[in-house]
Amino acid sequence: MSFLANIDRRVFYWILFIALMVPFLNPIGFPIKIAENTRDLYEGITGDSVEPGDVWIINFGYGVSAWPECHPGVTVCAKALLREGAHIILIGPHTDVELTYNHLLDTASADFDAATYGEDWVFLGYITGGESAIAQLASNMRSVYPTDHFGTPLDNIPLMQNVNTWHDVSGVLSSDTGDWGGYFLTMWQEAYGVPMAQIGIAMLGSTGIPRWLAGNYFGMSVGSRGGAELEMLIGEPGDAIIAMDSISVSHLLIVIAVIIANVGMLMERGRKS
Amino acid sequence: MPYPTATWDLIGLWTGWVLMLMIYSYPLYKENPVYRFAEHLYIAVYLAVSLTVNFSNVMRMCITPMMQGDITMIVPLIMGLMIYAMLIPEYRWVSRYPIALLVGAGFGLGIRGSIGPNIQDAIVSTITRPTDGGAMAWINFLYIAVGLICSVMYFLLTYEHSGAMQVPTRIGRLFIMVALGAYFGNTVLFRLTMLTGRAQFFLQVLKLIPM
Amino acid sequence: MSQMLKREVVYAITGIVTVLMFVEYFLFPESQAWAEMLRTWGIIIYNISLGLGAVRLTMAHSVSIQRRRENWQYSGVLLATLVVMLVTGLAGYFTTGLQTSNTIYNWLFNYVYTPLGATLYPITGFYIFSAAYRAFRARNVDAALMLIAGCFVILSNAPVGEAIWVGFATIGEWFRFTGQVPGMRTFALVGTLGMIAYGFRALLGKERGFYAGGGEE
Repeated sequence: MSFLANIDRRVFYWILFIALMVPFLNPIGFPIKIAENTRDLYEGITGDSVEPGDVWIINFGYGVSAWPECHPGVTVCAKALLREGAHIILIGPHTDVELTYNHLLDTASADFDAATYGEDWVFLGYITGGESAIAQLASNMRSVYPTDHFGTPLDNIPLMQNVNTWHDVSGVLSSDTGDWGGYFLTMWQEAYGVPMAQIGIAMLGSTGIPRWLAGNYFGMSVGSRGGAELEMLIGEPGDAIIAMDSISVSHLLIVIAVIIANVGMLMERGRKS
Repeated sequence: MPYPTATWDLIGLWTGWVLMLMIYSYPLYKENPVYRFAEHLYIAVYLAVSLTVNFSNVMRMCITPMMQGDITMIVPLIMGLMIYAMLIPEYRWVSRYPIALLVGAGFGLGIRGSIGPNIQDAIVSTITRPTDGGAMAWINFLYIAVGLICSVMYFLLTYEHSGAMQVPTRIGRLFIMVALGAYFGNTVLFRLTMLTGRAQFFLQVLKLIPM
Repeated sequence: MSQMLKREVVYAITGIVTVLMFVEYFLFPESQAWAEMLRTWGIIIYNISLGLGAVRLTMAHSVSIQRRRENWQYSGVLLATLVVMLVTGLAGYFTTGLQTSNTIYNWLFNYVYTPLGATLYPITGFYIFSAAYRAFRARNVDAALMLIAGCFVILSNAPVGEAIWVGFATIGEWFRFTGQVPGMRTFALVGTLGMIAYGFRALLGKERGFYAGGGEE
């Protein structure tokens, strides 16, 4: 087993890179079980939970590197809200938020093409300033966003005419790689009771699941797995489901690597003793 | 999105593909000039995007309202520029004023907002007994309750973890290890999903799978 | 007087702003206008301050080119690209109000920024694989527990786990919905208590590390 310990790490990298590509060329199609937290999220944005005309905020708290993790879930949620007749306000704390917005228009093109900008959705654009910005957004949106991303004053946008504070918003969906969901949690959900859900990266699943259990989030989608589950729930397979086979293979490789390493360690220990 | 056909979009797509390989030449081969070039290129474009977006935001939030008559906006503009005093050693203290405002707002909002979800709601959820689910629900309830108490005791660093504290803190450490293990498991999903996206892009540009 | 301007006045500003944020929410909603004004100022200051990193970076790379340090050519690439994108972005902004209206900026944003941004961070995926093989060893009970929890969560996150054995998904789910909860709640709870303690120390002027030249005059 000692020769295994001396393998160049680049061999592992090549094995992984090739292994990730094979399932795209030869899909396997493992079944995907839907978790309770994801189901709660979906039920919280569909059916009786959402009335036509409700205003929801979707926070693009992720950049281009996290598109595979967060974007499928956000796509499904945006589609679901638009189909319920809700209105969406799109914001984001990353400087590349415009790219993510354009990507959403592409991945949910049918629903956005059937909707009208300024009436059914509005893109307010970039926000920064941490917790202060989100707190200020709750008390006076126009001080943070005098105009939308394209320079139109909010008073000239039909959707925003009666929307300026947390009072006017029915719910928040925050899709994060970091802290911005936490700011919405403290400044919106905790402070004013605005319903909130997280469509975060997998690591936020560890911190977010206890919050879902405590009732702070009405639902939670965990990483690309959550995105795949949401795609199953809405009945429209997308990027997340397509990627699940590749993710399965890579995860299996990780576990096999851990097992081999530890078996080797135990054998080495046995040999020495 | 369909495979692009316009010339500049096609050039852009392949440029992105090549740039991706330039970056991956580092882990898959070794550090080399090609990787260094791509890395510096990224820093430059990221910085430029960041500067232009923040500039337009300052124009939107501060300069334009000031030009339209809100003269109080001169104050944050001047305070923001005071931060740049950090670059001049003898006037670095001037930058403390805007930082003081940012730190004060951050602390005030952070403290007022964090107590509810992180302390109150967490404790209430932990001590709320299960209403359904049978024996397993009670086992989980006890697991979480005992785990929380022991884990918090582990972080009582002002007391020596000996005597009566020894067993609970040791148990608390084990609960923390389980949490860190689960966190690692989720981290693996995150990292590998991002890599999966790149593998998919690699094949899409080569038209081996649909875009 | 100058010492007071450099220290005590700074702590006073921190304290007043902190207290105002509390008072606005818990006690006197009438103070909301002041709190809103300060928060808006804070956002603008934050925006302006993000240029500081750019200034330092530009200075460092300019010196590198000037003194022909090792790999100065990359600094040249960086500065040249930065200038091109800045000029085109600002040109787009001043003509139409939108940076991306400039064709060159938009092309670089879509076809250089996006693939590079999407590629650099996922490199850590490679490292996690080699780390799983080289570093994650169950040398004692604590590490073994961590690895077991990690492996079950990994196998429950990927659909293949349930396909191999339904127990992987069941046990992994237990770790996700129960097993990790005490530890994660502890981190949040203890972190918040620490932040509160740190905040009060900052209000009392005992924490000066985040002020420029903190610890000195």
